[in-house]
Amino acid sequence: MFPSKKPTMNSHERPMSCVQGDSGLVLTTDPKPRLRWTVELHDRFVDAVTQLGGPDKATPKTIMRVMGVKGLTLYHLKSHLQKFRLGKQPHKELNDHSVKDASALEMQRNGASSSGIMSRTMNENVHITEAIRMQMEVQRRLHEQLEVQKHLQMRIEAQGKYMQTILEKACQTLAGEGMASGSYKALGNQGVVDMAAMKDMGSQMSYPSLQDLQLYGGDQLDMQQQMDRPLDGFFPTNEGICLGKKRTHPYSSNGKSPLIWVDDFRLQELGSAAACMGTQEEPSKSDQLQLAPSVIDSGMDMDSMTDVYETKPVLSTDSMGEKKYEGSSKLERPSPQRATLPVERINPMIRGGALPQTRNISYG
Amino acid sequence: MEEAGDLEISGVGSNSTINDDGGCAWTDWSPVIDWGPLSADDDFRGLVEAMMCDDNDDVAHAGVTRMAYDPYWNSNPSSTTTSTGTPPAEEPSSSDGGGGGNDDKGLRLVHLLVAAAEALAGPYKSRELARVILVRLKELVSPAGGAAGCGGGTSMERLAAYFTNALQGLLDGSSATACSRQSASHLDGQVGDVLAAFQLLQDMSPYEKFGHFTANQAILEAVARYRRVHIVDYDIAEGVQWASLMQALVSRKDGPPPPHLRITAVTQRGSGTRAVQETGRRLAAFAASLGQPFSFGQCRLEADERFRPAGVKVVKGETVVLNCVLQPPHAAGAATTRGAGSVASFLSGAATLGARVVAVVEEEGVAEDGNFVGRFMGELHRYSAVWDSLEAGFPMQGRARGLVERLILGPRIAGAVRRAYRATGEGGWGEWMARMGFGRVGISCFNHCQARLLLGLFSDGYQVEEDGPNKLVLGWKSRRLTSASIWSPPPPAPASVPPANIGVSSSMEDSDFLLD
Repeated sequence: MFPSKKPTMNSHERPMSCVQGDSGLVLTTDPKPRLRWTVELHDRFVDAVTQLGGPDKATPKTIMRVMGVKGLTLYHLKSHLQKFRLGKQPHKELNDHSVKDASALEMQRNGASSSGIMSRTMNENVHITEAIRMQMEVQRRLHEQLEVQKHLQMRIEAQGKYMQTILEKACQTLAGEGMASGSYKALGNQGVVDMAAMKDMGSQMSYPSLQDLQLYGGDQLDMQQQMDRPLDGFFPTNEGICLGKKRTHPYSSNGKSPLIWVDDFRLQELGSAAACMGTQEEPSKSDQLQLAPSVIDSGMDMDSMTDVYETKPVLSTDSMGEKKYEGSSKLERPSPQRATLPVERINPMIRGGALPQTRNISYG
Repeated sequence: MEEAGDLEISGVGSNSTINDDGGCAWTDWSPVIDWGPLSADDDFRGLVEAMMCDDNDDVAHAGVTRMAYDPYWNSNPSSTTTSTGTPPAEEPSSSDGGGGGNDDKGLRLVHLLVAAAEALAGPYKSRELARVILVRLKELVSPAGGAAGCGGGTSMERLAAYFTNALQGLLDGSSATACSRQSASHLDGQVGDVLAAFQLLQDMSPYEKFGHFTANQAILEAVARYRRVHIVDYDIAEGVQWASLMQALVSRKDGPPPPHLRITAVTQRGSGTRAVQETGRRLAAFAASLGQPFSFGQCRLEADERFRPAGVKVVKGETVVLNCVLQPPHAAGAATTRGAGSVASFLSGAATLGARVVAVVEEEGVAEDGNFVGRFMGELHRYSAVWDSLEAGFPMQGRARGLVERLILGPRIAGAVRRAYRATGEGGWGEWMARMGFGRVGISCFNHCQARLLLGLFSDGYQVEEDGPNKLVLGWKSRRLTSASIWSPPPPAPASVPPANIGVSSSMEDSDFLLD
């Protein structure tokens, strides 16, 4: 009922009982016919591969032809070739590396004979030349890779720009107004998102453009809430991309490593998650809380969040306007230093909605 | 679901290790599942795999080697927490005990899905049985918010929900129901939403870019010296592929000005013509912004969806390229999927048109089984891999993912299940083309390197590998998902032959590839 997804060797071969074939192949008498890759056989294999231009260019069929070994099947060769390729992976450019090793072995076997010494010296020269050639090869590959990377970047950008034009037109068609759809611009400008730009764009967001993005989950979201969440549309994407990358983003124009952004974006993820909150019950609330572990003081319990949320701005900086202060002793605990920027972000949310069901964490 | 337990199946005894807490012994259900190797992996796809795989680990073949499952990211895909200790409370009504029950639940869902598929098309042909199973499935997935999107429920549950809906669609009979449901969600002018979701998917995963960039690079190399290029595109969708091609043409440092680019989009009669025209306009505008000489045209398919090469206007001196991206359409444009005969006629036209190169992007791992359940399992595998790949990069229960799932992946799953139900099981197009005498055009180092770099921008789990000299396969953790292959047309031959009739096995010489 459940098919195996790949062909097995067993289904294609007749079991062999002979121990030594005509061509010197050593086959075992296992019920599963296995070919032993002796040194000689492997050497022939490597020769054939080299003749054909390397492991990448050679194919099992051509190798079989070149080797001319009776009893050798495509399946033997396929698997051996793959192993060979994998094994050569770190030294891909050194096609003749193994051949060199084999010849070096031979040299040693010649021992101390004078002819052996002579050939050894010659071989050393060959080795040196090889080493130089290897190095040049490596450099060439590096250079190639840089070229490819450059082109790839341009192509991704071009594609992003094009996507942006599509989305813009779609936006205009939908809303009937010629909005700037700044959100999509930022998404589109670099197909892979530049996080610095995202952050800057964030505060200037014109939320009507994001309306559309939020209409998607529309049957669950309250429109009113969406209005007050100008930053929502972005952040799932941003944050995701930022978490998905493990190294500094090649496209980010500032030097910030992705990790720094994580905290901020997690906060804004809370914002978007809060928008979902409108019609969902507890589960998403716990989602939100977990999303920003660095944010939550573990001593807090959830019930008190609202209070803390609303009163926090008062404590953090003096520049924050007076909010309705509900007075709570819990306020001493959160550290005010980290609060400034994120709180500024979230404050509009607080003020805009004053929605009772929001349970955002206001400090970061 | 106590009544389910009463139904008797001539099943084998199960040596299941699953603790069943619900009181109904689902483990006695499916007679064909080998419960032995099941283990509680953190990996959802691992669960599916564990159910299915014989261990073929000692055989390495030219394709993908099956690797052991590494529980990647150390995250349980069913949980939404990151590094806090607070347990997720997202299964309020689940009968599991939370935490460790997630794996069991995932397994149960998978088994239920397979059982439902079997019931729908298996020898028992019991639709009532299927109905019963689907009801149970819905109970299990929907309270957590399942298909309703917006991040409710676990990753597994959501995936299972979409498959449940797909199966339900089959059960409800015709595609009419499914289509009307689909169009209902579209009719609100949500095309923009779908596009935005599509953009999100593109940002989150390399699937689409991989196909486009690989094909484009191969096309670039093939038309390097020509002054006029004519691309016949089987499914232009929004024309996204050509943006980067244009950019590449314009920025060629060789010296010669960019060649004149003409794109002919193959369209179906009637539907969607306006959309294609809109696409053409957009492409023209984009080309103008780049300074790329450009023109656009359409070519209609015949009434039976067959492609007629004569319908394409060919200008003297231009070099023709065929582009065939066969990925499942995102729900925005092509609700209709064209049949295999249509694709075959298109590919066959390559010889008539004297195309220089044919680029084909298709889904990999298409199950060639003769029965529905096998193909269904294949789709389950595929989409669980896709799910996992998105989960790995974006573990947060963000709205973005919910959006993508609901608007893009959900419909694709439904379509895939439908196709699996109806189709008789065809292999990939690569084999067909080889049989038809298409030559293989080698993938250059540049192209391969580009694919690697592209994947490097995303999660580590993505892999690209060569499958033959002319094909690159993109996969997620040893699950092959999509591939791009490059071909040269066979010498002109009489009329197109539908794939089913191939009795001729032309010997495919390995030396028939051109390398750069």
